[in-house]
Amino acid sequence: MPDYLQSKAGGCGGLCGGKCGSTMHDGVIRNNPIIHQVLGVCSALAVTGKLENALVMGAALVFVSAMSNAFVSLLRHQMPRRIRMIVEVAIIATFVILFDQLLKAFYWDMSKQLGPYVGLIITNCIVMGRAEAFATQNPPLLSIVDGVANGIGYMIILALIAIFRELLGAGTLLGYTVLSTSWYAPNLLMALAPGAFFTAGFLIWIINALRGGTGLPADKKREDS
Amino acid sequence: MKSTLHTLLFAAVLGVVCSTLLVTANLFTAPYQEANRKADQVRNYLAALDVPIPENASASDLIAIFERTIRPVRQGGLERYEYRPEGADAPQAVAVAFAGPGVWGPIEGVLALEPDMARIRGIRFFKQEETPGLGGEIATEGFLKRFNEKQIVAADGTPGFRVRKPGAADGPNEVDGITGATMTSERVGTMLDALAKRIRED
Repeated sequence: MPDYLQSKAGGCGGLCGGKCGSTMHDGVIRNNPIIHQVLGVCSALAVTGKLENALVMGAALVFVSAMSNAFVSLLRHQMPRRIRMIVEVAIIATFVILFDQLLKAFYWDMSKQLGPYVGLIITNCIVMGRAEAFATQNPPLLSIVDGVANGIGYMIILALIAIFRELLGAGTLLGYTVLSTSWYAPNLLMALAPGAFFTAGFLIWIINALRGGTGLPADKKREDS
Repeated sequence: MKSTLHTLLFAAVLGVVCSTLLVTANLFTAPYQEANRKADQVRNYLAALDVPIPENASASDLIAIFERTIRPVRQGGLERYEYRPEGADAPQAVAVAFAGPGVWGPIEGVLALEPDMARIRGIRFFKQEETPGLGGEIATEGFLKRFNEKQIVAADGTPGFRVRKPGAADGPNEVDGITGATMTSERVGTMLDALAKRIRED
């Protein structure tokens, strides 16, 4: 682990047993849910046509994943093992519906644009995966950090894909014209789903190439040792 | 036995807590959501009717303008929305809603006509799930502008409307369809043609 993270871990180490920094680093960078775990790709393809949509979707995931991790972790000793998954989904669904209701009440236009994808966070593998793999085995505060970290990791990748797609597909960024249509013909392919496939694919390739590995578990072990 | 009881109890308590939370959230946000939904529809009617709207008008402003200037009138089988600005004694425009199947889901919209019930004043699609970038273009300014100066009666006086292949429109009751969205264009054409005939029948 790099040095700067050690010092950061010291900052909130008292609360999270010194694992705060490494958990954050894991979720956002080393074990990024989209690039490394290749989870949550469905919504990464669906809502990245515009940067604004991607950011709101990312915020939704940060909120849901932090809150559900917190509650799953709080209940981890009382939770009957047999209905563990159902309990996790119930908790996740509660927070997703809550976010969706708030969006519909105070951010109507965005709610219309995101359509069914906010509701589909319930089935997002990242949230479920973190609740099952992390929150059931770690204390609440650390679980919140993990949820936020994975949400941010997801948001960063979504934003990167969306920047490419909105710029090349519509010539705008956050709705402001960057490439004027007087000389730039918007690339329809980038506005549609295939554009997201290409962008996400290239992104995974570039990041793995920079890391000097294939992103497969064997490489991860080598990095760790 | 004890573990079964624990499981049942746990599930029951979790269910009650989660649903209480959601019901509370719903009670709290329902009025805002309802206002948004209504304002959305009202905004489309006002836009099609070309009613002047102040910039940054809030949801309740829009509903107030709508209730002040627009009066629903039932005539034949059609609900007509007459636009009468304050002080005017005759309607200055009339809007009629339409709906029909699109490619992926229902299309709903509103068509506004001049008082002669022939010339088109404006059109809006407020619900559509067509392919984004292709059929979805029906909701964009570019497509809606093609209806300017058009009418729902052919040059020889027969009612009807057609959405033609891109570049083929030449009559006063024809507009160009969207390249790459033949199916959506055709369905919108069928919808508007049926509406034109119904309006002219009354």
